[in-house]
Amino acid sequence: MRDPHILLRVVSKFLIPLIALFAFYVQFHGDYGPGGGFQAGVILAASVILYGLVFGIAATKTAFPPSWIRIGMTLGVLLYGGTGVLSFLLGGEFLNYSVFSHNPSHGQHYGILAVELGVLCTVASVMVAIFYAFGSRQPGVPNIENANEDG
Amino acid sequence: MMIDLMLAASSSHPEAELALHIDWLELLRWCLTVVFMGAGLFFVLAGTLGVLRLPDFYTRLHAAGMTDTLGAELILLALIVQSGFSQMSLKLLLVALFLLITSPTATHVIAHSAHKEGLEPILGPYKAPELDEAE
Amino acid sequence: MVFASTSHALPVYILDYGLLAILVIVAFAIIRVRSLFAIVMLQGVYSLVCAAWFVSLDAVDVAFTEAAVGAGVSTVLMLSAMLLADCRSAPVPISRQIGPLVIVIIAGMAMLYAVGDMPAYGSATSPANSYVGMDYLERTAKEIHIPNVVTAVLASYRGYDTFGETVVIFAAGLGVLLLLGLNGNAGRWEACPNGQCVSDSDSVASIEQSGSLASSREGETKPSKLKTKGADDA
Repeated sequence: MRDPHILLRVVSKFLIPLIALFAFYVQFHGDYGPGGGFQAGVILAASVILYGLVFGIAATKTAFPPSWIRIGMTLGVLLYGGTGVLSFLLGGEFLNYSVFSHNPSHGQHYGILAVELGVLCTVASVMVAIFYAFGSRQPGVPNIENANEDG
Repeated sequence: MMIDLMLAASSSHPEAELALHIDWLELLRWCLTVVFMGAGLFFVLAGTLGVLRLPDFYTRLHAAGMTDTLGAELILLALIVQSGFSQMSLKLLLVALFLLITSPTATHVIAHSAHKEGLEPILGPYKAPELDEAE
Repeated sequence: MVFASTSHALPVYILDYGLLAILVIVAFAIIRVRSLFAIVMLQGVYSLVCAAWFVSLDAVDVAFTEAAVGAGVSTVLMLSAMLLADCRSAPVPISRQIGPLVIVIIAGMAMLYAVGDMPAYGSATSPANSYVGMDYLERTAKEIHIPNVVTAVLASYRGYDTFGETVVIFAAGLGVLLLLGLNGNAGRWEACPNGQCVSDSDSVASIEQSGSLASSREGETKPSKLKTKGADDA
């Protein structure tokens, strides 16, 4: 039988990589234009969510396994906090990026880059995680574990 | 800007001979902008009227889709012509491209799901002749 | 930063007031409409109009976030949450609406009273433009050498705040995962869309499939499920 949503699938397959690309543009162009980690994270998550909406949750979970998402959530916060810890190990205050390089402004650049990457990681993972959490539930089908616990 | 050009052309200012060298390319650009923008606004207006006035879902969807595609595209085209060859026009071109792809898809999907859910369009009294009747 | 200069004042005012009027109309529509699907869609519209208004106020970064989060992701999340709940909101009796109305009227009057003390839009002597804000604007070019001051303030000068925001987002995600689980199977939970339990036969079949332990206790699970159904109908 012919796929009834073939048009949607073809267009989405064309658009999803471009949305992800735009997310990274927003991320790394944040120093020069509007944008940054939060926006880029949400846009990246939106591309994953679009994939989930069109191709189904199961296919999305094979492409982006929930374990990755769980790791990504923590990795972002660790990257941000780790940048701060590294800065005071190198002799500055917490989250003072000037010590990362001989030139303080270069150090600020590196620090902002690392911190924004952390924000991107956390925001994108959390958005996808919430989508998984809500989208994975089948309405009206009770949980088998619950059925066991009830007895 | 247009008014400036016309004023410069009509006035007997000492710089009149300089202004008489009208930048034809610039003038063409302005004319194209006005034409595209006017057409785009017309289609947006017509689409809005259609959404408000047309009788059933499918006809209204047709009007809304026209606003999205034709109206927005023409307005974007006017902006591209206006901004000339620059980074801005490239960005606008990308926006136009995405709109050209996504908005017909969205219209198609909405109509498709409505049809699948069994929403019947309002049909006129005319019916296409059955094949065996025509024989 | 381009503020509303005098020569462009009228179109900018028309745009601002038009967008605000649309926001008010959409807000009233959200209050009046009972269908949750329509409410979710209208919230997306509200966010998008909000984003357009932020662009008109030259707050591009905020507009960007509002468009991506409010109109994009949160609409999808609300829809997927709505899938598990009822499709229509229950009407609230008038007697329970009086208290909120009084609070809203008092709060609105307080805000209107405070509007008189607000600095003019884009005023150079407003608190936002005079103390620490100007300092950031001056020092970013010297110290960090990036054109977008917003990023500099967000990631460097106010790094602590952003760290806090990231942790808040992480905590929100963690809370959702603790309550629902990444695969949507944590907690004692059963969805009843439109007040009725769907696919009884499916659920029984899935319980039977789950093995001898579950099937031996099937008699005990069924009444509890029926009880939930009855409680939701009531």
